[in-house]
Parts: sequence; C-alpha cells; structure tokens
Amino acid sequence: QNHRRLKLVLLCVVTMCRAVPINDLIYRASQQSDKLHALSTMLTQELVCTYRVHACHTSSLQTPTDKEQALQVSESDLLSLARSLLQAWSDPLVVLSSSTNVLPYSAQSTLSKTIQKMQEHSKDLKDGLDILSSKMGPAAQTITSLPFIETNEIGQDKITKLLSCFRRDSHKIDSFLKVLRCRAANMQPQMC
Amino acid sequence: MTKVGEVLLLLLLPAFVPHTDGTRYSLPGKPTEIKCRSPEKETFTCWWKPGSDGGLPTTYALYYRKEGSDVVHECPDYHTAGKNSCFFNKNDTVIWVSYNITVVATNALGKTYSDPVDIDVVYIVKPHPPEKLEVTVMKDQGWPFLRVSWEPPRKADTRSGWITLIYELRVKLEEEESEWENHVAGQQKMFNIFSLRSGGTYLIQVRCKPDHGFWSEWSSTSYVKVPECKTSSVWILILVFSAFILLILIWLIHMNSHSLKHCMLPPVPGPKIKGFDKQLLKSGKSDEVFSALVVSDFPPTTSNYEDLLVEYLEVYVPEQQELMVDEGKDHDGCLKSIGSASDSDSGRGSCDSDNLLMDKSGAAKEEQQQQNQEGDQIGTETQGPKEAWEKETMLCANEDVVSPDASSKKVKTWPSVFSPVTPYSPSPLDPHNSLEMHKQNCLSDTQFPPGSPSSDHCIKKALQSSYWEVCFNNNQPYPQTDVHQQLQAHSDRNISAINDGNVPSNLLLPTRMTEYVEVQRLNEENKVLLHPIPSGHSREKACSWVGHRDNYSKVKGVNSDNVLLLQRDVVEEESMEMAGAAESCYTSSIAINTPKPTTCSHIALPVQEERVLAVSGYVDTATMFSLDTYVNEMKPVASKANTV
Repeated sequence: QNHRRLKLVLLCVVTMCRAVPINDLIYRASQQSDKLHALSTMLTQELVCTYRVHACHTSSLQTPTDKEQALQVSESDLLSLARSLLQAWSDPLVVLSSSTNVLPYSAQSTLSKTIQKMQEHSKDLKDGLDILSSKMGPAAQTITSLPFIETNEIGQDKITKLLSCFRRDSHKIDSFLKVLRCRAANMQPQMC
Repeated sequence: MTKVGEVLLLLLLPAFVPHTDGTRYSLPGKPTEIKCRSPEKETFTCWWKPGSDGGLPTTYALYYRKEGSDVVHECPDYHTAGKNSCFFNKNDTVIWVSYNITVVATNALGKTYSDPVDIDVVYIVKPHPPEKLEVTVMKDQGWPFLRVSWEPPRKADTRSGWITLIYELRVKLEEEESEWENHVAGQQKMFNIFSLRSGGTYLIQVRCKPDHGFWSEWSSTSYVKVPECKTSSVWILILVFSAFILLILIWLIHMNSHSLKHCMLPPVPGPKIKGFDKQLLKSGKSDEVFSALVVSDFPPTTSNYEDLLVEYLEVYVPEQQELMVDEGKDHDGCLKSIGSASDSDSGRGSCDSDNLLMDKSGAAKEEQQQQNQEGDQIGTETQGPKEAWEKETMLCANEDVVSPDASSKKVKTWPSVFSPVTPYSPSPLDPHNSLEMHKQNCLSDTQFPPGSPSSDHCIKKALQSSYWEVCFNNNQPYPQTDVHQQLQAHSDRNISAINDGNVPSNLLLPTRMTEYVEVQRLNEENKVLLHPIPSGHSREKACSWVGHRDNYSKVKGVNSDNVLLLQRDVVEEESMEMAGAAESCYTSSIAINTPKPTTCSHIALPVQEERVLAVSGYVDTATMFSLDTYVNEMKPVASKANTV
C-alpha cells in the first residue's frame, strides 16, 4: 500500500507540474474507450445472435475478475493492461475490415463502417495512452504482447467470435480507464 | 433428500391416477425468459418464467456453467430474490466471464430443461433507482425554480469509478392531462428546473443508468408546490386598467377618424376640369369624356360676326347730294361708306373681308375700319356700284351744290341693314338702279336744304366727299329701324332739320371746307363722332379739285389730346401738291362720344403711337386692334364704344 501511495503522490505531483493535466488526458481517454465499446456493442448486437464465449487471443492476459481485484490494481498496471489490450486488437481490426465480404450483403456496409470507426478510435486512444503512460513512469510502459495469429480472411463464425472478443476487451479497457479516472480525480470528485 | 421425495412421488404417481378424472399429467413446461440482472456489477440475479407444471408439482433448478469450465453449478440462492429466481452473491459472481445458465423444471414425470442463456455480468447491469430525491423551490430574481438533488443508489459504487452512472429526471404538473418532461442530467446529481407555474404542484422522478447498461426504474415521486406569485394580482389589475384605457382610445380614434385622417393624411387634390367626368374616364369611354371638354362656343362661328360688326356708316352730306346708298349688303356688320368713292387705293377689299376682322371690342377699330372701307369703297362693294357712285358724284356735281353751310347738314346713310326700309338703299347688286337712286338722291338732296348755299364745285366736292360722322350714342337704345327712320326722315325732309335736331352746335361746320364724316351705328348706342378741324382756306384750293374723290379713310395721326385725326385723302395724280395741301387742309377729328343719349360728344380716341399710321396714312387693321385696346380701356367711360 505504501508503494501505491507513493505512486499516487507521484501521480499527483506529475499532475500538478505538467502543463497538460493528466486528468484531462485520462478523461479524454476514457471517453474514447467508451465510444469504442459502444461501437463494438452495437456491432455485436446486430451480427451476433447469441453470446458465445470462445477463447479469445487475449484470454491469456490476466485481468481482474471482480471489483475488489480491479480496485487493487495499480494505476500503472491498469494503464498497462489497457494499452496491451488495445495493442492486441490493432491487427484483428484490420483483418475484420478486409473480411466483410463473407457476411451477408445487408451487414457488409454496417460492418465496414463501424470497423473503420473503431479503428479510428483505437488509434486515438492508443496515442493518448502512450502519452499518458509516458507521464506515469516506466511501469506503465510495459505492454504484454498478445499476438493475433490469423492473417488471412476469416469465415463468418470467426468474425462473430472476434466481434464478441472485441466487445469484452473494449469493455475492459473502458473499465480500467474509468477506474483510473476516478483515482486521479481525488481533487475533483465531480468527475466520478 | 429431495431425490428421495421425487422417487416417492414417481412411485406414488400411478396410485393417484385412478383417483383422478382422467387428467393427463405431463412433463413440466420449459422455463422461459431467463433474465439476469446485476445492480452494481458485483452480484446478479436471474429470474425465469416457469412453464406449465404438467399437473404435478414442479420444481425448478438453475444450473450454470462458467466459461472455460465444465463444472456445473447450481444456483446458490433461490430465495433471496423471490420466487423463480436465483441470486448470485459476490462470491459467486465473476466479471468478464460468461455464464451459461440453464433452468430445469422437474415434476414427477420428468424434467424439462430450458434453453441455455449466456450472460456476462458486466453487460446486464441495471442499477437501483437513485435515492434521496430532494426538491426545493428556490428563487432567481423573484422567479421561482426547482432545485432537484438525489443520491446514487446505495449499492452502486461510483466513487471508485467501478460504475459510472448517468441520470435522468422527469417533471410533471399535478394535472390529469399534463405530460412528463424529461431532462438528462448526465453524471451530475443535481438539476434546476425553470419556467414554473405559480401555485402549481409538480411531480419529479429520477432514474439512472450505467455507461453500458440498462436504465433503472424511476425513483419514488417527489411532490413540490410552487408558491403563488404575490404581485400577480396587481399586474392583473394594471393589465385590465390599461386594456380599458386602450379601448377608450380606440373608440376616440374611431370617432375622430375622419378628422385625424384629414390631419395626418391630407387628401391629394385631384384634377378638376370643368366638364370632366372621372368616372367616365375610368369606365373607359374616352369619347364621352373628351366631348364634354369641347366648349361649344369656340371657335366662334361666322354667324357671330355679323352681330359683332353691326355698323352703320352714316354719311352726312351737308348739301343736297346724292345719298350714298349701300348696295345690297349681305352682311349687317359691313360698313359701307357712301360718299365720294375714291378707288385710288387698290387695296380695297370687300366689305366682308374687312368686317370679318373686326369685333365688338374694337370700337375705334371698327370705326376706322369703317372709315377705311368707306374711303376705299365709297359705299359700294362692287366695282359697279363704285363706278356708279363715281358717276353719281359727277352727276351730283352738275347739280346744285350744297353750300358748305348746308354741309353742316348731315345726310346720314345707312348700311344695307336698313336697306329694306330706306328708300335709298337700292336693290342689291344693281348698279343701274343704284345709279338712278343716287341720282334721285342727289336730286332730292339738293332740294332739301333750303338755305344751303349752292355755289361752286367746292360744294360739290363737299357733297362728293363723304362726310362721315360716326356717332356713338351710348345710351340711346334706338331700335334700329327707328333710328333709321329717324335719320331717313331727316335726310328725306330736311337736312337742316336734322342738323338742328341732332347735331350739337359744336358740330356745325365752320367753313365750307369743313367736312364731316359721320358714322353711326344704329344698333349700338355708341356713335363715333368725327369732328373735323376747320381749315377753310385751304379748302378753296381743294375746291378746284373736281372729279376727285375725297375720302377720310386715312388717319393722319393722333394729336396730343389723344384725338384721332383723319385726313382727307384726295386722289389726284395731277396735282400732288394739291393733295398734299389737301392733306394738310383737311383734318378731321374722330371723336368717340361719351355715353350721352342723343348727342354725340367728342371723345378722344387715343392712338397708342403715331407710327401706327402707315405711310399712306391708312390705319392698319393691326393698328385697329391697338386702338381696340384703347377703346376697351375706355369702356368704363364709353360703354358702347366697341360698336365700331
């Protein structure tokens, strides 16, 4: 806990000294992650009839499973987790965008548009988190590599599976950032 | 234990069968509509809808399997959440892990499985409604507004950021027909409502939703009453009063609308043309409109000319001489001078043409015109009569000559107007007759003046010469015939009598040489009186001029007394000097008399300028007009001076 408090103090100091306040960065990042998840949710609800959980390529990454565990994760870890997950999905999104033709025609336009937006948001979020991590110390810099094996076009079931996995992972990112946001806004309680 | 019970039930089932009335027992229906919800993302509850029980007691069980594990677990808590529910507490709840849940209905006959449902706790968050809803009435510069505040649901952990909630509230008036008015409050826990109705009661509710979850139920209703506005009654009074005043003003304006309109928007004067009808113009009948503009009395028709130019030339012959009788004149207004006609003036036009140029206003003009005409024509229009006249004069010359004294007597002749009356007037256009008449006249005339000296040819001359006396009797409303007869009588009987009766003393011929030219206008009261200036000596000289015709058609000039001087024009090629002498010899003055009933008085006829007179001494018609103006000016004095 002392370790965490120290990091908190460090965070506060960093917050006060820097010109661009971290709070704003975090707030902005959380907004982006929120949008990202909303898009994926919409996509999943349209294309995926039932929620089937399959093993995602990101399942190996250890993430908190309940609230107590989540609240115990440090800010850097939270950020690292978020960044790792985000990084893990840059390639699959590309594959998804190129695999829309296997879907029925009515879903193709929706998929392609939404995937494009998701890519944009992911890019923005990634950039923001990179900046944020640079301000939070070296612990935040670590990114767990989660490779995505599939490089060719994938079938429809694969697509739905990927979309489901992305929905969860985007939710994780969003949750982590929002927890991080509330942690950084101790001086500004209205944010939480 | 339950299994034993189930087995017993199954064994006993056939025993119950004969007790029934043939009711079929079946498997329980499939539980449906499995819905799971998590209020705070820490626990969750699943509810199902049981199917038919199949006539037998049915039990339900929920089984679940977690993602990545094949271990089947049963619902840990069927009671906390009520009937047909399963409550998962914190220990049993994991997030970002999907649950595969199945509900099984079991009765004596068997089990029935429901369709499995996959859920993830983070996706099924439906929080509790917000709590501690407080509404207060606050005032913003006198205007009330509602301040609503609330608290997040107790179990939702928003402080740590575990759950991010957004709120929504709705407001409604406490009326039957009012609608809810929704307001999204975002993440804030306080909200202001404005635009309230004074004295109204409001209902307020609030709910919340997690960032990626379901809306909560509406909170309990909070009632609030907005106080009455104190000044509303005062404003109502003011409003009523001002409305009343406004009505009065409108009524006043309406009553005076006409005068106000007149004052503020003065009417634009429109064209007013006499005889012009705007309505006709609007209707498009331009012909009728414009025909009304035509003045009937313009241009004057020729029939008026005669009225204007009623002139009568009265020739006064001092001695008995032929009376110049007019030829039959077609025009009343035509002046005919009877006397010694001298046709030296080639420019003599017909009587008509000259008379047409005259009008009533030019008294002197007419007189001059008359003079001119008489001088030009010596009483006749045609050449024939002129010649006759000439002959006549010659004849007359052979006869007794009227003395100059007798010349005072005036023979007045009338224009053809009186031709039917006068015996002197010959039948028109009959030169021979006229000649005879003239002869007779001459003869008769010579007989008249008893005391008239007859001597020399001078008298003849005098006789030949025409005496024109224009006498304007302003206020002598003779009927034409009466005057005519009167004068005629004079001429018939006794010139001297005429002389005495009608001629004022000052008109007596001073010398033998004096000549009078008298032109009388019978239908007019005015007479232009010519008053000769005596120059007797030279007359004798002039007496030698036999065969010459004298006429007084020439105006010599106007003297300082504004007296028009007529000169005697002697046409004699042979003796020019005589003519010159004659010119100087004979002058006569034309006088327009003032309004006196019987006598002719002298009125100076002013001539505007001397150069009015032409070189030859004739007065142009143009100058006649100028004379007219003078005559017009003298109208107040000589009211009938325009008869010439």
